Amino acid sequence: MNIRRLTELALLSSVALIIFVIELRIPNPFPIPGVKLGLANIVTVYAVFRYRPAETAMIVTVRLLLGAMFSGNPSALLYSAAGAVCSLLGMLALRHILPEKQLWLCSVIGAMLHNIGQITAAVILMRSPGVIAYLPLLLVTGSLAGAFTGLCAQLLLNRIKR
Amino acid sequence: MRNRKLLIAVALIFLVSVCLSVCILRHSDRRTVEIVQDGAVLYTFDLNRAEDQEIRVPAADGGNNLIVISGGTICIAEADCPDQTCVKMGELKSDYLPIVCLPHKLIVRFAEGEA
Repeated sequence: MNIRRLTELALLSSVALIIFVIELRIPNPFPIPGVKLGLANIVTVYAVFRYRPAETAMIVTVRLLLGAMFSGNPSALLYSAAGAVCSLLGMLALRHILPEKQLWLCSVIGAMLHNIGQITAAVILMRSPGVIAYLPLLLVTGSLAGAFTGLCAQLLLNRIKR
Repeated sequence: MRNRKLLIAVALIFLVSVCLSVCILRHSDRRTVEIVQDGAVLYTFDLNRAEDQEIRVPAADGGNNLIVISGGTICIAEADCPDQTCVKMGELKSDYLPIVCLPHKLIVRFAEGEA
């Protein structure tokens, strides 16, 4: 990996982290655990389409670890990491099927996979299958948020030419 | 055409989730609640008979939650974690949607069946 590449990745990670920290300051209108707009995923989706899988994974890992530190809520890390792994694997697979024009769809599916991963982690960690009742709610809010972040990333992709 | 199928599948999942969400958000008529931590039931109350009280539940990581029963409703009033989601969820209303504190692995829910 050359210096230019490394710098780009570092820049994208810090942009994602800044968006993440700013989003923490926005009051959440839905008092349901796990519901979030996930604006930082604009960067993730963008990276899925513009960078190699390993490079995207690096950006997400840095965002997750530092994000957990900055939010002062390290115990949420397990849930968000489980979601992020599912969503990232799914989106990396979808990239080969979907054209850039349908990036928003990739993002929606990524968001749904994120929610499924989150709930799976919650069921395992809390040893309570009842938590699964949250899944439909999370899927609804998640896919709306995913569509929004996906459209943002799509706009970005058109503007940033390489 | 694979893309169209994918799109239809996503739309279907979305619609089914919307329907399920509506069912899940219905208010419960059960009155027995239990407080569960890490898979073990700590307390059980009948909301019709329980007197108003405050229960502090410590968590494994040193944190704690304050659960308040008053006037036949139960809610988590305080939590010493940064996200405060369980506090913001307010009173327990739905059968399917327990009040959950993810960091402290704490659940407040309606018990199965009537006591």
